[in-house]
Amino acid sequence: MFNRIKDVLRSLMLVELLKGMMLTGRYLFARKITVQYPEERTPQSGRFRGLHALRLYPNGEERCIACKLCEAVCPALAITIESEQRDDGTRRTTRYDIDLTKCIFCGFCEESCPVDSIVETRVLDYHGEKRGDLLYTKPMLLEMGRKYETQIATDRTADAKFR
Amino acid sequence: MPTIEIDDKVIEVKAGSTIIEAADSMGIPIPRFCYHKKLSVAANCRMCLVQVEKMGKPLPACATPVTDGMKVFTRSQFAVKAQKSVMEFLLINHPLDCPICDQGGECELQDIAVGYGASGSRYTEEKRVVLNKNIGPLISTDMTRCIQCTRCVRFLKEVGGMMELGMVGRGEHAEITAYVDKSVDSELSGNIIDLCPVGALTSKPFRYSARTWELIRRHSIAPHDGLGSPIEMHVKGNTVMRVLPREDEAINECWISDRDRYSYEALNSADRLTTPMIKDNGVWVETDWQSALEFAATRLNDIARNNPQDIGVLVSPNSTMEEAYLAKKLAQGLGCGNVDHRLRQSDFRLDSKHIGTVWMGCNISDVQSMERVLVIGSNLRNEHPLLTHRLRKAVKAGAELSLLNPIDDDPLMPVAHKTICAPDAMVNALAQILKAMSVMPRYAGHLSPAVSNLIDKVKVQSGPQSSAQAIAESLSGSSASVDLVAPRAAVLLGNIAVHHPRYAEIYSLGEAIAELCGASFGVLSEAANSVGADFAQVLPNADAMNARTMLESPRKGYLLVNVEPELDCHNAHLAAKAMAEAECVVALTVFKSEALRDADVLLPIAPFSETSGTFMNMEGRVQTFSAAVKPLGECRPAWKVLRVLGNVLNIPGFDFDSSEQVSREIFGGEDPSQLASNRLNNHLYDSGVRDAARVNDETPNILQRIGEISLYQADALVRRAAPLQKTKYAVPLAAYMHHAQLAQLGFQAGGAVTVSQGNGSVSLMAQIDDHVPIGCIRIAAALKETAALGDMFGPLEIKAVEIKAA
Amino acid sequence: MLSAESIAKIDRELAKYPANQRRSAVMSSLAIVQDEHGWLSKESISDVAAYLGIPDIAVLEVASFYNMYELKPTGKYKLTVCTNISCMLRDAHGIVEHLEHRLGIHCGETTADGKFTLKEGECMGACGSAPLLLVNNKDMREFLTNEKVDEMLEGLK
Repeated sequence: MFNRIKDVLRSLMLVELLKGMMLTGRYLFARKITVQYPEERTPQSGRFRGLHALRLYPNGEERCIACKLCEAVCPALAITIESEQRDDGTRRTTRYDIDLTKCIFCGFCEESCPVDSIVETRVLDYHGEKRGDLLYTKPMLLEMGRKYETQIATDRTADAKFR
Repeated sequence: MPTIEIDDKVIEVKAGSTIIEAADSMGIPIPRFCYHKKLSVAANCRMCLVQVEKMGKPLPACATPVTDGMKVFTRSQFAVKAQKSVMEFLLINHPLDCPICDQGGECELQDIAVGYGASGSRYTEEKRVVLNKNIGPLISTDMTRCIQCTRCVRFLKEVGGMMELGMVGRGEHAEITAYVDKSVDSELSGNIIDLCPVGALTSKPFRYSARTWELIRRHSIAPHDGLGSPIEMHVKGNTVMRVLPREDEAINECWISDRDRYSYEALNSADRLTTPMIKDNGVWVETDWQSALEFAATRLNDIARNNPQDIGVLVSPNSTMEEAYLAKKLAQGLGCGNVDHRLRQSDFRLDSKHIGTVWMGCNISDVQSMERVLVIGSNLRNEHPLLTHRLRKAVKAGAELSLLNPIDDDPLMPVAHKTICAPDAMVNALAQILKAMSVMPRYAGHLSPAVSNLIDKVKVQSGPQSSAQAIAESLSGSSASVDLVAPRAAVLLGNIAVHHPRYAEIYSLGEAIAELCGASFGVLSEAANSVGADFAQVLPNADAMNARTMLESPRKGYLLVNVEPELDCHNAHLAAKAMAEAECVVALTVFKSEALRDADVLLPIAPFSETSGTFMNMEGRVQTFSAAVKPLGECRPAWKVLRVLGNVLNIPGFDFDSSEQVSREIFGGEDPSQLASNRLNNHLYDSGVRDAARVNDETPNILQRIGEISLYQADALVRRAAPLQKTKYAVPLAAYMHHAQLAQLGFQAGGAVTVSQGNGSVSLMAQIDDHVPIGCIRIAAALKETAALGDMFGPLEIKAVEIKAA
Repeated sequence: MLSAESIAKIDRELAKYPANQRRSAVMSSLAIVQDEHGWLSKESISDVAAYLGIPDIAVLEVASFYNMYELKPTGKYKLTVCTNISCMLRDAHGIVEHLEHRLGIHCGETTADGKFTLKEGECMGACGSAPLLLVNNKDMREFLTNEKVDEMLEGLK
C-alpha cells in the first residue's frame, strides 16, 4: 500500500524524467569525445590490420618472391598468385591479386610472409565505385607499399621485439 | 627365413634383406635420403640409423642385413638421438631458401626436418656455396641445396646406363657435377628430379611456376610409345603444369621417359588449333562447328556417293581405341574400306595372314628376366626409352643381347653379338641366323621343307663381318642351365623392322627363328595404341587400300585423324603429293600444322589430356583414362567429333553418349583383358612370304637411306615440346655416313650435298657417323626439312653442291 | 693422348686385374700419367677414361678425391709435409715454417721459378720417422730438422 502511494507521487513529480535530464545536463558540460571523422581520427595500434600493401626494398626491388605461403594460408581464399622465373633468374610473381571483398583481414598473410612483403597497413577507409574496384592487383599493392613505406617500416620496427 | 623384431613387432623376412626393407614391408617409417628401393645401397646419408640390440653403435638400416633373432628399435631414444644428430649435420650447409625452392612442400628434407630437426641451428660459421651447373634444358640445378645422397649419380649409372654425373672432391668440398662442361643427356634424365630428396635438381620448364599444394593430380596414360606408362598430370586451373610418373611395377616401375614427362609443354603451345577452320578460296577462315561439320560431311558424302573407294581414312596410331574405332565405323558407313593406322609401315604383304592381333609376345615385366634376346631393327633408346631399361636389367643379370640393326647406336649396355648391315641386307642376315640355327643337332629336321629349301641357298658367312653363327648359338643357348621347356628367350622386332620395306620377310623369318628355339616372338609396338588400333580392326578391308596404296594412288577425299601426313607417313613426298591432289581433305587435328596446308577443313580435337579414352599397350594391357583438363577453346574430343560427323552423315549406330559406350561396343561388352588374351597372337596363317623370301641376293651397289624417326620427332605432341627440342637428342639434321663412305664419295665433312629420292631433293650437310654401315646414309625422317624425300628406307642419290667461284 | 710409354706401364697394371675389371687400374693409371706430365689435365683424365673404358666423370671422381693427384700444374718438386698428430708433436709446423721462410711461399703455393710447390699433407703412415715429408709423392725424407731441410733443398736444385 505504502509503496503504491510512493510510486504515484514519484510519477507525478517526474522524478525519472529529472534524473534523465540530469544525466543529459551533465554531459552537456562534459568534455566531448565525438570524433569528427574523417577530419579527425581515433588513435590506431601499430598492429592495425587495414588495407594490404606489397613492400619494396629501399633499392626499389619488390620483396615478394612468389613463395605463395600467403595464398596457401589465406582462410578466405582471397589471394591469387601466379609466378614465373624473371629474366634475371629470380622467382617473381606475374600476378598478385587480393580480392578485398573476400578478405577477412585476419593478418595470416602477413604472419606467413618470410620476407615481410605482404603487410596490412593502417589504411581503413577505401572504397570501390564499381564491380572489380576492390580487386587489388599487384601494381596497386606495390603502389600502396611505396606510399606507406615509412609508416609500415616504423610500425614493424616498433613491433619487432614482440614478433 | 630369419625372424626379426622391429619396434616389438615380429616379422619373418627373406634372408639377405635389409632392416629398411623389412621395416618398409611392415609400414614402420624410417627416415632416409640416400636409400631408394630401385637403386643400389650407398649408405652415405646416415639418416636411417637405428638401434640394434647388442650393438654398441647405431646401424644404418639400409645397409644392415637382417639376422635371425635381431631386435631393432627405430624409435628408441638412442635411435632418435642418432637420427637427430645426422639431421643437424645435414642442415649445417643446407640453405634456408625453402620459400623460393620449387621442392618446397614436397621436399623429403623439409618433411624429415619437421620430425627430426631442431628449431634453431647451433652452426654460426659461414655456410658453403656450390656453383650451379648447367646440365641441359630439362633439369635446373641449385647445387648448394645438395646433401650428397648420390641418388642421381646412381640412377644415371644403374638405370640410365651411362654415368653422367659424379661426386668430385671430398669432405666439405664434395659436389655433384657432370664432367667439365657436359650436360646430362640420358633419355630418362627427368627421373633424377623425382629422386632428388631436396631441391637441388628440379624441373627447368616447370621452374617457379606452381606449388605442389596448388596442383590437382589427375591420372592419365603416356601417349608416346607402346609402353603406356601410367602418369599423373598435375593441373592448375585448366592447365597441365607438369607430368610425373605413377608407380606400376608391371609397366614403368617408378620411372618415365623424358618424352612422357615433358611432352605436356606442347599442350598449350601457340600451334594449338582452337576453332574449326574451312579453306575458302585458298584462305583459312574460322567458322563454327555446325558449318565445319556440315561442310566436311557434304564433301565426303559427295565423293562417297560417286565411289566410296575414293575416300581414304588415315588414323594416327597414337589415337585412342575409341577414336580409331569410330573412324573405321564412319568409313564403313560411307561404304569405304580404305582405313589404316600403320602410317609408317610400307610392306603390307602380311595383311590378312595374321591369326590375331600382333603384340610384343610376352609381358613387359618378363623382359628383365629374359636370358637371351635378339632385337631386330630397333634403335632401342630412341624408340623405347624405358623398355630399354628393362632390357638393361636383363643384361645386367647376365642375359645375352644380340642385335641386328642398320645403325650401330650404343644401347648403353653390353651387347653380346651384333650384325650391323645395310637395311636391304637384313633379310639375308636373318636367313643366315636361321640357317646357322637349323643345322644345330637340337633343331635339325624341325623345319618345313619350304624353309629348308629357302635356307639351303643361304651361305653362312663366318668371321668378324657376320655374327650369324654367334647369334644363333646365343639364342639357342648352349649351357646346361638352359630351360628347354620354357626357355627365357625372346626375338623382338623394333620400329625400324616394322618400317622396313621388307618387313613381311623380316617378320616371318624372325618368327621362324623364334619358333625354332622356343623364344617368344613379338613386335615392340611403335605408338601408344598400335596394338589397340589393330585390335579394333582399324585396318583396310580385304580388298581395300592400305596406308601406302592410299597415297600411291591418290584418293579424292581423305579423312585424317590426328595425322600430319608428310611427317607421320612412311613416304613424306607421296603423302604431301596425295594431299595436294585430293579434292577434299578433312583433318581432325590438335595443332595447326604446315603439313595440313592442303587440307580443306580443320576440325580442332582434344589431345590426350583433354579427352577420355583407352589405349592398348604393347603387351595388350587395356588402360582407360579420363580427361585431365577441359578442352581448350572450341576443341572437342575426337570421338565426339566423329560421332557427330556420323550423325550428320546419317550413318546408323552413331548414338554414343560417352567414350565408355564406344569402348563397350569395341569389346562387345566382354572383359577387355580376357578378350585381349584371346585375340593377341603373332602367328601367321600361311608362310608364303617367308618361303618366297629373297635371300642371298646380291646387294645392289646403290646408296640407301636409313630414315629413322628421332626420339623427339615421333609424334605431333613431342615435335612441339620446346624443352625436348633443345636437348642433345635433337641431333642437327644432316646426311650422316661412315667416314670411309664420305671419302669414297669425295665429300668433305660439313660440306653441302644434295640428296634426292624420286622427284624430291633436299640440301643437307654431309657429316661423319661411323655408326652407319657402308652403303647407307642416315637422314632423319619425320622432319619438315626432309619432307621432300621419299621412302624412309630406300635408294637415294647424293651429290656435292658445287660452289661457284665468285 | 697417352704416350706409348704410359700405355705400356698402364698395361702392366691392367694385367694385375681380371680382364673385365679394367677400372681397377684407375689409381695406378692416374699416377703413371701424373708422373709423366707432372699433373692431371682434363685431357689426360679423359684419355685415361677412354683407355680404361669407363666414364670420364668416374675418373675425375677418383682424381679429385685423393690428395696426391694434382689437378693444377705444380712446381718441379712438390714437397708434401705431414702435419698430422705424430709429426705435429715432433714439430712439423716448425718444418713448414722453415720451408715457407726458405722458399718464400705459403702452403699450397708454387715458387716463382716454378721449382717448388709446398703442400700440407695428411698422415703417410710412417709416424715412426716423424716429422717427414714427401718429394713428388715418391721420395720420403724422414726425421726432418731445419738443417736436413736445407740440405735437401740444396740437393734438389
